[in-house]
Amino acid sequence: MMSLEERRAQFTKYKQDVKDRGKPFYPFAMFHDTIMSLVVVSIIIALACVWYFTSGEDPNTCGGKDSCLLGPRYAEPADPGTTNFVPRPDWYFYFLFYLLRIFKWPNSVILGTVGIPTILLIILIMMPFLDLRRERRVLRRPVAVVAAILTVLSMGVLTYKGATAKEALASEVKAAVPQWAQKQGFTNNKEAVAGANAFATSGCTACHTYLGTGGGNLGAPDLSAEGTKGKGVQGLQTYISDPSKFGNNVMPKFASLGDTTLHQIATFLDASKGPK
Amino acid sequence: MAVSQRSGKSSRRRQMEAAMTYPIDWLEERSGLVGGIRYFLFRKVPGDTNWMQTLGSATLTAFIVQAITGVILAMYYKPDPNSAYQSIQHITNDVTLGWLVRGMHKWGASLFIILMFFHMARVFLFGAYKYPRELNWIVGVILLATGMMEGFTGYLLPWDQTAYWATVVGINLNGTAPILGPFLAQFLRGGAEIGPDTLSRFYSMHMLLIPGGLIGLIGLHLYLVVRLGVTSPPWSKDAAGMEATTNGAGPATNGRTGLTRPAARGTWRRNGGDAE
Ligand code: HEC
Ligand code: HEM
Repeated sequence: MMSLEERRAQFTKYKQDVKDRGKPFYPFAMFHDTIMSLVVVSIIIALACVWYFTSGEDPNTCGGKDSCLLGPRYAEPADPGTTNFVPRPDWYFYFLFYLLRIFKWPNSVILGTVGIPTILLIILIMMPFLDLRRERRVLRRPVAVVAAILTVLSMGVLTYKGATAKEALASEVKAAVPQWAQKQGFTNNKEAVAGANAFATSGCTACHTYLGTGGGNLGAPDLSAEGTKGKGVQGLQTYISDPSKFGNNVMPKFASLGDTTLHQIATFLDASKGPK
Repeated sequence: MAVSQRSGKSSRRRQMEAAMTYPIDWLEERSGLVGGIRYFLFRKVPGDTNWMQTLGSATLTAFIVQAITGVILAMYYKPDPNSAYQSIQHITNDVTLGWLVRGMHKWGASLFIILMFFHMARVFLFGAYKYPRELNWIVGVILLATGMMEGFTGYLLPWDQTAYWATVVGINLNGTAPILGPFLAQFLRGGAEIGPDTLSRFYSMHMLLIPGGLIGLIGLHLYLVVRLGVTSPPWSKDAAGMEATTNGAGPATNGRTGLTRPAARGTWRRNGGDAE
């Protein structure tokens, strides 16, 4: 580490050097900047074109298949009632999204949602004060470089994992319902089977897992043996219709499904005693 | 009027020159802006700046693309749950070149974030966050966080399933933060539920509050860049400001890496004809 005087002397030297043998910003640096900017704008236009010309007016043009290179123009209109939709943020939040699979509810979830991002942000801001050496050459800053590589790698892996995290499509989940009924032994319980279908198509599996199907996102617990927790049909129904009353602020309210459906889902969960 | 009065010119020519420079002189006399722009353009930068140092201005270009396309989108977009989705469809499918504007805004947003990360990586690689540029690094980190918030608020606006559910969960996750979390979630939603208030709130943040903040921060960032100058690549053999001290911990006396040549100390003075 250098004394402040030395640092100041070095900066004075920098300014003198630039004055003596620097080159004017215009046209030299500006030339490079302009070319780079043109490249950026071209890439943006190219992406917009590929996106538009490989997709169609119908939100389902790309449904399931990868017929659109860059995704659909828009998804189905927002519908707070039917939630058979996987909550998926924009790609630069994928790492956070995936962190929540690692940190499970309820104890450590705060670490994933708030703790780690805050710590990262603080370290990033503090960087110039943590690394006080004057050395700027990469090979002579082993600690900084190793830390940076590790950060980039782990962000990369988390982003990749978040991007490829299996989405449970409502249709696939629904196909698994007869199997569930058999394994859990509620095949003859009409209400429970109806509930299982509603469960499969209401987006619950975007977060929860059930007998191996589903997302396991955001720290939502596995529900295969929810019926053994002694909440009762009524208790479960109240829970699902407004989980925030039970301190669960992550899971959306499902009151909009209507009492009939909610009752069916609750019956289904109550009948889920874990695989036989 | 400060027009040169060189002899040997016809009076007609002199009059023409005077007429042409008159507006510039007028502006300069009343604002000093011309001098400011001249200083900005002709200021010296280190002679060894390279392509990696164009990433900052590339980020700026991406931001400007967002600003322009965003203003155009705002002319057609309707921030109301009953018409937002239709207005997005209308822009994409009907409005002349609307698809291009929306496509550029959509993909430009991702590119903006990517470029910010690349630019940050180059600043890190160059050790350019060290004295006296600490403050500019901090401004940069705030820009990064603010830029991501811009992405988060923009994601809701198409009001399709992706947008809606990502935001439901995103807001709920904010809500898990200790103490402030519930207030933040309440503030973002503009109530207890996601609805019309949430959409207009996000719209206002996305097009007024956050971009306003970004513009101010970018202004400060660029002011600091011009004031402090940009760093020479650390491996450059005649990096500006390299040899200010004879401190043992200072720059290399070791020629093995090939990135630096100790013999090159000060040689620019001898062979520096190309610097000017
Ligand atoms: C956005 C993600 C998400 C969605 C969608 C979701 N949940 Fe949840 N759910 C959670 C989380 C997270 C918890 C854990 C909260 C806790 O432990 O406090 C939870 C808890 C539960 C519990 C209590 C589990 C226990 O053992 O404590 C039940 C029952 C439940 N969810 C049912 C459902 C049903 C039924 C649906 C679909 C209608 C659904 N969830 C949709 C995230 C979600
Ligand atoms: C809106 C986003 C941003 C814009 C428009 C922007 C723009 C610029 C520009 C034009 C430069 C001049 C040198 C160059 O182009 O490399 C620069 C330098 C710099 N930027 Fe940024 N930047 C942004 C974000 C960031 C971020 C996220 C960081 C870091 C966390 C950062 C830290 C710095 C630092 C420390 C410098 C000085 C580098 C040096 O002296 O070599 N900036 N920025």
